[in-house]
Amino acid sequence: MSGPQTEGADLASDPEAWLRENPKLPNRQIFRHALARFAEQDSRLVLLEADLGGAGDPFEARHKSRYFNLGICEATMLDMACGMAHVGHVVFAHTFAPFGAMRACEQVRLGMAYPQANVKLVCDYGGVSGAFFGPTHHAIEDLAILRAMPGMTVFSPADGLETILATRAMIEHDGPVYMRLGRNRVSRLEAQREGFALGRAHCIREGSDVGLIAHGEIGVSVALEAASRLEAQGVSARVVNMHTLKPLDEAAILETAERTRLLVTVEEHNILGGLGGAVCETVCAHGLGRRVLRMGIQDRYDPLAGSHESLLLGHGLDGASVAERVLGSLSRPHAVAPEPVTTRRN
Amino acid sequence: MIAATTDAGLECPSDDGIGALEAHAKHIRRLIVRLAATPTGCHLGGSLSLVEILVALLGRVMRTRPGNPRWEERDHLILSKGHAAAGLYAALSEFGFFDPEELVRRYNAEGSIFTGHVNAKAPGVDFSTGSLGHGLGLGTGLSLGYRLRGLGNRVYVICGDGEMGEGSNWEAIQIASHQRLSNLTIIIDRNRGQNDGPTESILSQAALADRLMMFGFEAIEVDGHDLRALCNALEAPAKGTSPRAIIARTQKGAGVPMFKGKGPHYAVFTPEQLRRALVSMGEVP
Repeated sequence: MSGPQTEGADLASDPEAWLRENPKLPNRQIFRHALARFAEQDSRLVLLEADLGGAGDPFEARHKSRYFNLGICEATMLDMACGMAHVGHVVFAHTFAPFGAMRACEQVRLGMAYPQANVKLVCDYGGVSGAFFGPTHHAIEDLAILRAMPGMTVFSPADGLETILATRAMIEHDGPVYMRLGRNRVSRLEAQREGFALGRAHCIREGSDVGLIAHGEIGVSVALEAASRLEAQGVSARVVNMHTLKPLDEAAILETAERTRLLVTVEEHNILGGLGGAVCETVCAHGLGRRVLRMGIQDRYDPLAGSHESLLLGHGLDGASVAERVLGSLSRPHAVAPEPVTTRRN
Repeated sequence: MIAATTDAGLECPSDDGIGALEAHAKHIRRLIVRLAATPTGCHLGGSLSLVEILVALLGRVMRTRPGNPRWEERDHLILSKGHAAAGLYAALSEFGFFDPEELVRRYNAEGSIFTGHVNAKAPGVDFSTGSLGHGLGLGTGLSLGYRLRGLGNRVYVICGDGEMGEGSNWEAIQIASHQRLSNLTIIIDRNRGQNDGPTESILSQAALADRLMMFGFEAIEVDGHDLRALCNALEAPAKGTSPRAIIARTQKGAGVPMFKGKGPHYAVFTPEQLRRALVSMGEVP
């Protein structure tokens, strides 16, 4: 699935059918196909890449004049993106997450966030999806960094359909956006989606005991599996797909806190500063006095080679581990129903 | 090179001879030293070193409309060495983008758009700069963006020689060369000084013109205080599709004789120092 697509379902009008016909693509390739398709109707779209690899870029194949492989120059790619946006282009800059969020961090801050440039930074290799390549190619801090920049929209899609819907939404949104993708093939969420909006969380499963709030290709699927396992144990779990980390859908967090007894975040990111941090901030800011169980990368790097799956298992980021920790937490009454914060001073 | 426009409505003094340009340079220098006498002072040495570069660009070479700074057909000036904001603001006010007296009153003042590093809120400024090593990347993107749209706007980026220590500049130089961005010109203010002292004792910037030529630029070295040489270099017809670099040999604190060619990087003048500086420049305080 590399060249121009001329037959079959149309990605723009029927993305679900298109995805059924192209079941083996990772999100990063789905993004390129989506952008290439949308660029047919929008001459403002430009794609910058930094020697990203992946044979047969569909955007390059279909829109050669608007595609620039700038070489291994991630930082300057972001300054250039700002310059091009200044002339009216809608600029997508596509690179690996550790380099986009960290090597080019100041360019992202000064070139995208501060001037509110119409630049979309799309990054692959989110979390530990780079797996055996090692921590140089992992990004477990990117969401914390990007979330801290005023005016940034930060997005982490859970599957291919959401990636397509988000790509369209990013084009329609005038301003800087960071979209974080993984590296590997993604599973398709069964959840129905009626409409899509950046910043509006999506409850994909109702439940009353535990509220699992997740984002991303791994986080949401792990949360759903944990919910199924919990159900088998007689525990009812609500699952919220918090695909947009910023602006955060605080109402969805408050609603989940109201409807359940325990809040749990599930994400392929350090437990510090990402969704776990964002939910804790919200819970504290609203004085809920509620404990939040943060499931994610356990504040350490992975120096040894391993598959994506084995690295996730090492951090307890799998359905069984999450369900087990939730059950353990529920069995400790103080964790579920803390005293109100105001009565704890003595 | 695009000729300066002569529309009657334009205030850009594009028909000035060199003598008139020199007069502009004098006015700008007087304004810069007055900015050094404001409560917070300014980056004085590096503002004075690039006065002729700014005059050649804003007064002769560039297409601008001071009354309509966002004019779509304008050329762009990016001062990548954004700490020399006092120099850029003074030049923009000299050429009619805003009132010079307002600049002196509000420079670095509470709530003012005239911040100590270049601020995109000031009329005539497109990008906030001063974190070094960004201007060339921004300018490269602008140049590529204009070419992609089939437009003839030109982009001028002024970098400091000390600033060339930033690796991002060399990324941008490689890309500009590879993409054959002939609508881009870099001017390097080669004043041989940076915050901590002489560039050559901190990080040598020897043979910049040679280095840029090896990176694929058309490069020339000129006396950066010689307006005629600067204008000739900026207006010379392009030989090919390469981007262009001008290494302008300058002096920190140029034009203020009391500095004897060793102007300070930063200065906060007392009223007496301002008076002495103006006297040494042959001005009436």
